[in-house]
Amino acid sequence: MRLLLRATRRELLRHAGQSTLAVLGIALGVAVVVAVALANESARRAFGLAMEEVTGAATHQVVAGPQGFPEQIYLQLRRAGLRDAAPVVEGYLTVAGEPLQLIGIDPFAETGVRRHTAQLGGETLRQLLLEPGAVVMAATTAERLALAPGDHFSATAAGVEQRLLLAGLIELEGRSAPGLEGLVFADIATAQELLQREGRLDRLDLVAPSAETLAAIAAQLPAGVGIQPAAAHAEENLALTRAFQTNLTAMSLLALVIGAFLIYNTATFSVLRRRALIGSLRLVGVSRRQIFVLVLGEAAILGALGALLGLGAGHLLGRLLVGLVTRTINDLYFVLTVTEFLPAPAPYLWGALLGVGVSVLAALPPAMEAARISPLEVRRRSSVELASRQRAGQRLALGLVALLVGWGLLALPGLVAGFGALFLILLGGALFAPLLLVGVGRIAVVPLGRGFGTIGRQAARGIAGGHSRSAVAVAALAVAISATVGVGVMVESFRSSVDAWLGERLQADLYLAAPGGLSASQSAPLLPEVVARAQALPEVTAMSFGRRVTVASSSGPVQLLALEPHPQRRPGFPLLAGDPERAWAAFNEGSGLLISEPLAQQGGLAVGDDLHLGRFAEGVTLPVVGIFREYGSNQGVVLLRLAHYRRLWGDEALSSTGLYLRPGADPAAVEQRLRAALADLPQRPFIRSTAAIRHTSMEVFDRTFLITRVLRLLAIVVAFVGVLSALMALALERAREHAVLRATGLTPAGLFGLVGLQTGLLGATAGVLALPLGLVMALILIEVINRRAFGWGMTLTLPWEVLGQALLLAVVAALLAGLWPAWRIARTPPALALREE
Amino acid sequence: MGRGYYWLLMGLLLLVGCDSHPPAPSRAMAVANALGGESAGFARASGPRTFQFPADHGAHRDYRNEWWYLTGHLEDEAGGRYGFQITFFRIGLRPTPVRRSSAWATHEVWMGHLAISDGVDGHFYAFERFSRGAAELAGVQAAPFKVWIEDWQLAEQGDGQWRLQASAAGVAIDLLLRADKPVVLQGEGGLSQKSAEVGNASYYYSLPRMSAHGHLTTTAGGPHPVSGSGWLDREWSTSALAPDQQGWDWFSLQLEDGRELMYYRLRRHDGSVDPHSAGAIIDVDGQLHPLTPQDVQLEPEQFWESPQGGRYPVGWRMAVAPLGRVLRIAPLLPQQELDLTVRYWEGAVLATTLEGAPLAGRGYLEMTGYAP
Repeated sequence: MRLLLRATRRELLRHAGQSTLAVLGIALGVAVVVAVALANESARRAFGLAMEEVTGAATHQVVAGPQGFPEQIYLQLRRAGLRDAAPVVEGYLTVAGEPLQLIGIDPFAETGVRRHTAQLGGETLRQLLLEPGAVVMAATTAERLALAPGDHFSATAAGVEQRLLLAGLIELEGRSAPGLEGLVFADIATAQELLQREGRLDRLDLVAPSAETLAAIAAQLPAGVGIQPAAAHAEENLALTRAFQTNLTAMSLLALVIGAFLIYNTATFSVLRRRALIGSLRLVGVSRRQIFVLVLGEAAILGALGALLGLGAGHLLGRLLVGLVTRTINDLYFVLTVTEFLPAPAPYLWGALLGVGVSVLAALPPAMEAARISPLEVRRRSSVELASRQRAGQRLALGLVALLVGWGLLALPGLVAGFGALFLILLGGALFAPLLLVGVGRIAVVPLGRGFGTIGRQAARGIAGGHSRSAVAVAALAVAISATVGVGVMVESFRSSVDAWLGERLQADLYLAAPGGLSASQSAPLLPEVVARAQALPEVTAMSFGRRVTVASSSGPVQLLALEPHPQRRPGFPLLAGDPERAWAAFNEGSGLLISEPLAQQGGLAVGDDLHLGRFAEGVTLPVVGIFREYGSNQGVVLLRLAHYRRLWGDEALSSTGLYLRPGADPAAVEQRLRAALADLPQRPFIRSTAAIRHTSMEVFDRTFLITRVLRLLAIVVAFVGVLSALMALALERAREHAVLRATGLTPAGLFGLVGLQTGLLGATAGVLALPLGLVMALILIEVINRRAFGWGMTLTLPWEVLGQALLLAVVAALLAGLWPAWRIARTPPALALREE
Repeated sequence: MGRGYYWLLMGLLLLVGCDSHPPAPSRAMAVANALGGESAGFARASGPRTFQFPADHGAHRDYRNEWWYLTGHLEDEAGGRYGFQITFFRIGLRPTPVRRSSAWATHEVWMGHLAISDGVDGHFYAFERFSRGAAELAGVQAAPFKVWIEDWQLAEQGDGQWRLQASAAGVAIDLLLRADKPVVLQGEGGLSQKSAEVGNASYYYSLPRMSAHGHLTTTAGGPHPVSGSGWLDREWSTSALAPDQQGWDWFSLQLEDGRELMYYRLRRHDGSVDPHSAGAIIDVDGQLHPLTPQDVQLEPEQFWESPQGGRYPVGWRMAVAPLGRVLRIAPLLPQQELDLTVRYWEGAVLATTLEGAPLAGRGYLEMTGYAP
């Protein structure tokens, strides 16, 4: 046993460089996994805590459609003796560009509902009641907005600029809770006024009502108003982000897989290098089992070290990622403010287990190989290479199996199955690396020989000959590069599809929208006077009108886009399914619904199916007559003609309007005139030209994919480390060979060139392998993952620059990684290297 | 009577020095903090006024504080005794309303207290609620008279009777009340001076005897038919007490001979009796005979220790010179402490003569300033 421990120590220390790189690879992989898990967890917990503050102890909620319900329903119930019920009016505020959730409460009805508002008192409560525009918020939120109690500040609410007063800070035992971040509380009267919701309530929170109470309340509710469990709302919102978070987790696992290649690499080399030693150990009576444990143990030590480092790095990285994750959730789903990093123990535990587990797993094949070494079988490397090449056949078979199983897995439903398939196909493809390497080496002999003479031929043969070492490096690099290709092609396809979609959708010349509509889920109403004045401009020949609200449906919450299009033009919603003539006729009559592709995908809806809009008995059930492409929201969008929406929901407000200008009119000039015409109104609506909207939309798009790009970069860094480690090993292995070459007259520069050529070849091989793998990955991402996760379809575009970049990246990464080993080799005096051997 | 003063006193205390206290455990305490509020802009009770009814049953929004305070004794058919107290407090936050578009916007807060003393099985129930004086959640109107906080209400019926309806957590009271005596203006023609400063006074009138009958439900059972007699106190003011006043012992007794006795003893921090202590004997025909501190001798005889802290003298020996009698006053229940936003003892008491003669009277006693 002591003998084995000494062997381990010697191995790990003597090849410290190799070990370090393996540790680094696992560390990076674990770091990315932990960071993503932490960021996801932070966002989820922040959301949970915020919901806790918002719903408090409420177990049931009375809710209705987008317009809420008349306050008289509650007032009558309350006057009749209803207790433990807290009315709520809620909406969004924008302060200094930041969206905040405004919650209007009746402090006298809060007993036992929300713990923080129950603490309101003293002068703060006085001001909340007496001062129009008085609000309270968490100390941390106020600090971030540079506000102190007593400060007046401006905010946009319901599309109108308002002057607010920070009446006080909400605290519990002197501390502000993270769940309060981004929440603004006001008296219910103030909230109604700010949100222009006089006479309406959005919610009635009920605390543990008895069955009789529930029945009594239900009996008083008109059609369209109903009672639901308080958790339902939170659950609906969380479900929206689940796909997004699964995607991030999958991306992070990719980084760990690449890290696993490194461990495999290290373990394989250590076994190859110590073949003689292992043979001798077996001779002195060490069992196969002990050898097996030795190799696995070494990997476990490296994995544990890497995991430990990775946890620390992941913790730091997680802090950075939280912001990115939150921003994406804000752009795509709902307003969520996460300023506090909320580390939970689970991600760390998971990361550590994953790091060690993956390391051990990756070392399993080399450990088995080591255990097979017979005491007598102490051979030279050439025979090893031979054996390895024979096993290349097995690997190939394994790769084929992985590809086939992966392909089969694609047929299973669900996002996890999709990612499983993606991983298997990627791994299967990577197993082709050794074969490809031999091929490339053989093919390259001729051109390289012609170009660089002996050195060239030597380099090509070296690649083919030493492939057991290089293949792993190539595979790791190929996986990393293919990920950049796959994700790159997917994002580019997505981007160009979105761009094309915007081009079709935005038909008017100018658009007007109420400010404050920052996230897809909220939309403030335009003042009627704003619309009237826009209509009065002489350059405006026609207008389209839109109202965007979130309503409940038989397929979960959906965005209802009520549209009154340009009188002569068909709206810019090219249909993916459904007969356009019939669909638009049904749209005009209000006898059918057009739905977005994600809704069709997630709700399993096809043309001809019925969809119910509205909660409870309110609303309408209509057949789906058409499916259109929609990237604006993956929440699901339903298109209904404005007149029919108004008839059904009694909501006369408008969220946006499109202005069609007289031919020849300059949109920029009209925009100026419009701004001047609206200058004296309390509302400063967003006025944007079609070009500006496209520009902004693409900015949001790019922002959304920023996190994807960051993860992709991290994967490449891990792969780079992998290549570096492989080449270092290669260089050290070849030290004697190189010394002989030097001794027989090869100059240091020549040797440098030889190693450089070899690494370049390795990179090129990885690139060649990465291209088809990347394209397959892109296809799976587009056709399987994105459809399953978001329901977004897109047109595949092949950006040649992405493909070219990938090849270049592979070669450059390999060359860069080869720089240091090559320099070291070139510098080593041949005599020293010969003596060492 | 003027029980609500304790409320005001607490409000002032909170305003003066209690902001630095640790956060209150209940929302109610926090709400109370808000209500000490500013007195600037409100009118003061500084001179005589002419009372007019039914208008004066309604709100006096020029003044910051106002209350409708109804107490009484009830008996069930088996002779079991009960006490009840319901109070509607109006607290103005600002004398003049600001025009706002939401129906919820308010500049006054209402607080309600409901207490039932069950002399049969020895239970004491006390409840509190708050609401805003907006959206018809709480308010008052003079004609026909109605004061309410959500579903607690005291309202005039078509026949001139008043109906009290209130319930909370298994306890309910539903009474019809008819005034047996006309309105009595307390103090000097309705102006009741509470401390030396001009304006530290209230306008104060009473309906000292109202026959009551109806139903009472407690967690022990019901509704039981009950009948008895109630006493309504009405007061409004902006400020009343001086800083050196600690609390009071306030008696309101309906005597068997058809007269009523009201006396409040204001205690100072140093334990002495404030010279502004006052009271009155009301004749059978409603005639008022003022009482001064010199007319009344009070000796505590029985104490009750509150589990929340504080020792209340719940039994008294009361010698009233103009009455020519010494009364022994004992509580219906010892533990009639309302442990609410402000803690005070308010309960049904029975009066006998010192000689142990049968019942001399019954009424209510309010004690404040004993809770630490």
